[in-house]
Amino acid sequence: MADSLPTEFDVIVIGTGLPESILAAACSRSGQRVLHLDSRSYYGGNWASFSFSALLSWLECQQNSDPGEEGSAAWQDLIHETEEAITLCSKDKTIQHTEVFCYASQDVDDNTEETDALQRTPSWVAPTPLTNPLVPACLSEETPSSCVTRHEMPAKDTPENDGEISPEVTDVEETLAKENNRGDKTYTHTVSDGAKDENKLIVEDSTDQPKRNRITYSQIVKEGRRFNIDLVSKLLYSQGLLIDLLIKSNVSRYAEFKNVTRILAFREGKVEQVPCSRADVFNSKALTMVEKRMLMKFLTFCLDYEQHPEEYQAFMQCSFSEYLKTKKLTPNLQHFVLHSIAMTESSCTTIDGLKATKNFLQCLGRFGNTPFLFPLYGQGEVPQCFCRMCAVFGGIYCLCHKIQCLVVDKESGRCQAIIDHFGQRINAKYFIVEDSYLSEDTCSNVQYKQISRAVLITDQSVLKTDSDQQISILIVPPAEPGMCAVRVTELCSSTMTCMKDTYLVHLTCSSSKTAREDLESVVRKLFIPYAETETDREGLTKPRLLWALYFNMRDSSGISRSSYNGLPSNVYVCSGPDCGLGNEHAVRQAQTLFQEIFPSEEFCPPPPNPEDIIFDGDDKQPEAPGTTNRIIAKLESSEDCKNLENHENHLQN
Amino acid sequence: MLKVGIKFQVARAMQFSGSARAADENVDYLFKIILIGDSNVGKTCVVQHFRSGVYTETQQNTIGVDFTVRSLEIDGKKVKMQVWDTAGQERFRTITQSYYRSAHAAIIAYDLTRRSTFESVPHWIHEIEKYGAANLIIMLIGNKCDLWENRHVLFEDACTLAEKYGLLAVLETSAKESRNIDEVFVLMARELIARNSLQLYGESALNNLPLDSSPVLVAQGPTEKTHCTC
Repeated sequence: MADSLPTEFDVIVIGTGLPESILAAACSRSGQRVLHLDSRSYYGGNWASFSFSALLSWLECQQNSDPGEEGSAAWQDLIHETEEAITLCSKDKTIQHTEVFCYASQDVDDNTEETDALQRTPSWVAPTPLTNPLVPACLSEETPSSCVTRHEMPAKDTPENDGEISPEVTDVEETLAKENNRGDKTYTHTVSDGAKDENKLIVEDSTDQPKRNRITYSQIVKEGRRFNIDLVSKLLYSQGLLIDLLIKSNVSRYAEFKNVTRILAFREGKVEQVPCSRADVFNSKALTMVEKRMLMKFLTFCLDYEQHPEEYQAFMQCSFSEYLKTKKLTPNLQHFVLHSIAMTESSCTTIDGLKATKNFLQCLGRFGNTPFLFPLYGQGEVPQCFCRMCAVFGGIYCLCHKIQCLVVDKESGRCQAIIDHFGQRINAKYFIVEDSYLSEDTCSNVQYKQISRAVLITDQSVLKTDSDQQISILIVPPAEPGMCAVRVTELCSSTMTCMKDTYLVHLTCSSSKTAREDLESVVRKLFIPYAETETDREGLTKPRLLWALYFNMRDSSGISRSSYNGLPSNVYVCSGPDCGLGNEHAVRQAQTLFQEIFPSEEFCPPPPNPEDIIFDGDDKQPEAPGTTNRIIAKLESSEDCKNLENHENHLQN
Repeated sequence: MLKVGIKFQVARAMQFSGSARAADENVDYLFKIILIGDSNVGKTCVVQHFRSGVYTETQQNTIGVDFTVRSLEIDGKKVKMQVWDTAGQERFRTITQSYYRSAHAAIIAYDLTRRSTFESVPHWIHEIEKYGAANLIIMLIGNKCDLWENRHVLFEDACTLAEKYGLLAVLETSAKESRNIDEVFVLMARELIARNSLQLYGESALNNLPLDSSPVLVAQGPTEKTHCTC
């Protein structure tokens, strides 16, 4: 790390969120010398994804009111007489009202530490206290009852049978998965079937057997690496700007995606699946023949609604929901179209509703049965992929790098340099800054919106089917008019965002109050806290809540450049995440800014294929064209489906 | 000679990604291998040499090259090795997580004339464990073994470390003198094929796995002159 930075660049990008990362990649790609910095220790800013432990540290950081003024190097001397400084903000203030609830049992079961499993006695009140300051509301404090869990790997130093035990464990895991699908057998039971004698003994000794698979808090902590928890919950429209950009720029080769498997609706207290493709509509058991015909007719019309202005012109002034009422659709279908297909607010205009419906339908079928994709390992991968591309073209990266100020030349009014926390002055021509780095002085006229977010870890899907590996999106309409609809995304473990046998659920809406006040009622409708179900009654149909986090995130997406005070013209501002489902805002912002800075340059053109570069001078015969990209560019063609299938099979078997 | 055993963890091997088997008709396998290690240990030279057999003295930062590819033929199987470089992101320890995500194997390189680069190896192993697939195969290479007079890392130390972390093997290499470079990749390819075919045969193969797998690997001492008294 003794390596010091060069001091001359063309572009300095501050912040590694999605728009900044796309811009960095675009600039680097067009031959600019790019320095990309972030004051945080991780990529992505508010677009990041965290493992469970990293999320806890992040929360700690957010709750910490400490201004973080650790003796920064003096910078005043570095400013010349003809210059002035614009200080930047040292503390991120974009997150508010964080609240954490842990419902899972916090038994101190010693699985958190790899003790010797085989020598333990059945009653383990083990001496590994779980120190976690971040659990204000622990709702269930139970006696140790979860005895055997699937984490019970034999200790490493087991004498003879290294080669034997491992397959056993695999067996058990597989059985567990199968049992899980069928339903109600307990973990304890299954493990005892396949496990070694020692384990069996333990199982028999335990009297208090749980009814359903139990996930304890310590398991979540121990498997914390399996989680990739997004701060911002988004999906990619399969015909959206981000997908187009990923494919065009070849950045798609750095990531893998899965199709969202179903669209859900919440009506009259029940979760149901929305038929959206032609096949879905015809296979749907929820719809009558007449409804099927009505829906198909309406959707077909939406696909080229522009050609039939007479159908909607009279309703231009009405809301989309009013319009749907006139279209001979049953209330059932109106609900589906309004909330699950157009995914609009009830107040949205007819024309916007039609546009949204058309967009949805056009995205269908490109990669699968729903119009959405989700990046494996979470949304936080996407900005990183663009950062990788920037680095491949020579961009230099530094995280944990605080910037004290921008240096502005008084005469020209242009920004000349930045001064970092080491007191180093780094010059550049253009500066791209994420808005959370701007100081209060700069932002004194800015009015922000807020996003309400909840992150839940649950033990079952909101709508159980044969497969436990579903990725679902559900829009819960507002309970009363004037409130916002809540977007719910449920991710299964094969998205690589949560541990096996759990689901990661994201809730998002634009804020009217704190996140918990905005979202708790929806959480209550869909889930029950873990402890209440111990009695094993009707509640069993609802998934149980193991852990929950609420927070508000600042939404700066609508802020215009002119509302910032005194920024030099060569300083460009990127906003944080918006509340929308797609990533269109970020991509559009990056593209607009890029074209403003470099009007004559192409935005993220395809890079040369590495396989083309390397084969020159080699006597090997070149690959047939078209075969080269198939494996890496996972988004292209049916290769994608194949990979996904493989992946799925392998996780389900 | 010190032997480093191939450590199988079967439960992990089960998760081997299906995409490792290339759909390409001309190729039996496609493997993604990531190369990591501190700056200036010669990573890029190693890849370049593997690709073209040529050593370039002044290695410039390669611009615009994501990965290099070479096809090998091993036991009649055509294997395509896609070797990814760090794009300079190791310099300030800012390698993106996605770099590790879909790799089948990792090669950690250190410079045996600079002790600090060897001391970083546990850091890189930790990164791999954190972000890579659970079953990732890791191999350690001590580069610049042509400069053995300036050696600051004993081969024994590297072997001890490899055993401690259950790495596949340690090799001392020299891109300059074309030593052991191809061996690294051939060895890696063989191991990947062995593990990748496991899942094709299902569980029965898993049980007698230690017998079926390729023999225990001999990590080669670079030259007779080095004091490797394994």
